Amino acid sequence: MNVFFQALISGILIGGVYALIGIGLTIIFGVMRVINFAHGDLLMLGMYLTYFIFTLLHIDPFVSIIIIIPMMFLFGGLLQKIIINRALNALPQNQILLTIGMGLVMSNSIMLAFTSDYKILTTSYSSSSVMLLGISISEPLIVSFVITACITMALYWFLYSTDTGQAIRATAQDREAAQLMGINVKRMSIIAFGIGSALAATAGALISPTYYIYPQVGSIFTLKAFVITVLGGMGSIFGATLGGILIGMAESIGGVYIGSGWKDVIVFILFLLVLLFKPSGLLGTSKD
Amino acid sequence: MKRYVALIMTLLFVMPAVALAGTVKLGFINSITGPEAPIGENLTNGVTLAIEDLKTKGIDVDLITEDDTGKPDKSLAAFEKLATRDKVTGIVGPYTSATANADAKMAERYKVPLIVPAASKEEITRQGFKWVYRVSGTTGDYAGVLFDLATTLGKPKTLAILNENSDFGVSGAKSAKAIAEQKGIKVVFEEAYSPGSPDYRSTLAQVKAANPDLVFMVSYAADAILLMRQSREIGLTPMAFLGAGAGFSIAQFAKEKDISQGVFSSTQWTKDAPWPGSKEWYERYVKQFGKPPTYHAACAYESMMIMGQAAAAAGGDREKTREALHTGKWNGILGEVRFQDYNGYQNQRKAVMLVEQVQNGHHETVWPLSDMAKKPIWPFPGWSK
Repeated sequence: MNVFFQALISGILIGGVYALIGIGLTIIFGVMRVINFAHGDLLMLGMYLTYFIFTLLHIDPFVSIIIIIPMMFLFGGLLQKIIINRALNALPQNQILLTIGMGLVMSNSIMLAFTSDYKILTTSYSSSSVMLLGISISEPLIVSFVITACITMALYWFLYSTDTGQAIRATAQDREAAQLMGINVKRMSIIAFGIGSALAATAGALISPTYYIYPQVGSIFTLKAFVITVLGGMGSIFGATLGGILIGMAESIGGVYIGSGWKDVIVFILFLLVLLFKPSGLLGTSKD
Repeated sequence: MKRYVALIMTLLFVMPAVALAGTVKLGFINSITGPEAPIGENLTNGVTLAIEDLKTKGIDVDLITEDDTGKPDKSLAAFEKLATRDKVTGIVGPYTSATANADAKMAERYKVPLIVPAASKEEITRQGFKWVYRVSGTTGDYAGVLFDLATTLGKPKTLAILNENSDFGVSGAKSAKAIAEQKGIKVVFEEAYSPGSPDYRSTLAQVKAANPDLVFMVSYAADAILLMRQSREIGLTPMAFLGAGAGFSIAQFAKEKDISQGVFSSTQWTKDAPWPGSKEWYERYVKQFGKPPTYHAACAYESMMIMGQAAAAAGGDREKTREALHTGKWNGILGEVRFQDYNGYQNQRKAVMLVEQVQNGHHETVWPLSDMAKKPIWPFPGWSK
């Protein structure tokens, strides 16, 4: 029983980080209908930023999020303005190619600059844990989860209680109608991509004390982000949150009871089942 | 005008061939970038030293290096290029067991002599291949020496095996199981994990629940660190952690004192090895590259030395080089090297293994007792707070 709870707790905690990645992707897709294959690479950039802030400025990874969020928001916005905005009316295949290309440029530039060697961030609490009722809970993961929860709540407040937030949701709902209503949809896209990037980078920062950093780390997370986003329903933030935690739990518990080599298989089977029985995702409203 | 251009172009093509007539053309495939880059770096440096030493012996090596990023398909492509387009006499490499197993089949098909420096999957030299020669020890050697140490220093009864599900990991697990059975140690938990996961906690919780005396791990660089970090989190404290080389052998792992203290790692060479020139070679490596070498560097060095000398003696002919490898004997920092057929292996060196243990952030030779630099710490000292 102990092992089960251990798996459950680890799963939920890491699910929080997955959720953050998924939310970023779902905002981008919701607002622009662009499938961002560079999402994992944005996470990777966040990890490298955290690493350098930690080693050069000696700022704790969790604290450095304060620097990373605005930086990556600006970077994401810039990417959108310069590159993706031009392709918004192109064929979806071309948009995908564009984001894949962006991702490749990002990961390969980092590889050129810093080599593929794994970088490991070691903080004083990297392997610390608290024991609760015989279950060991990773300290850095708890802090990540709390931060994720706060950011998600802040995001909700932004999207539901501010004008800009509502404008973003309007653009996501119906781009043309929003444009007719006088919303600057190009600017909303920029903000949305900025938010998506900032979230992905934050997820990277949160996971960096416990994972390893290398240029190709993005691809695993891009894939997971897609599963989470589609599972939760494209465009639904709450769905992405739920999806992330579900995937985290499925991986963890499935890994224990079926075998850790089967972890990914379980996640994808879950994904397929949801798509078969509820194609719009768990909480998605069927859009297109 | 066109005729002159054609003439000049032809001359330009012929010139390099003429200039290199006195040299030996060899290929080197390695994981230069990619997840195994930290270990691959050691092989590259080992080969660099070998090329220097071959030059002082009067053998000029025209070395063509290919990066396979640790992926078998890239390794196959690299091999084909070296064999058919570059027409090298022989190839040294690659690093990982997965890529080496793939390249071995290519070597047999293209009839190019291949020396495998550091890949330990047993099957690589159990396939009846004529063209594949292995300097590296096998996972059977890795597991054997670790269990010898464990059963001499203590009386372990149970064993947990944690291996990544790559060629190397699976072979390691198989060897460990076979040897454990021989020594009467019971396997209470076994898991082949998928590498690259951020979270091994649930697996490690199961290991802890099984309460093994020994934990035997087969992992590459990144997972070794992650697994030990999470083992510390979970509070796993067996009698000993036995690492099958690879990820456990690199300096980066040792530097993380919180998680590396007391971990054993099987190795094919250390600076304290009883073979001629080992200590000097170690010092030369540290002086030139700024960090201590792993056994991979020594294996790659010796492999390139052997291939260089064999190819030069054979005048660049592939079949003659193969014969030279088949019958030759060399003596260097790995001791006496001969490729033999034994126990179902073909063209395999009988590796003499040592064991290192991480003590205070450094790898120290602790086994065999006749070669030890420091006494082994037994049992596992527990986690620092």
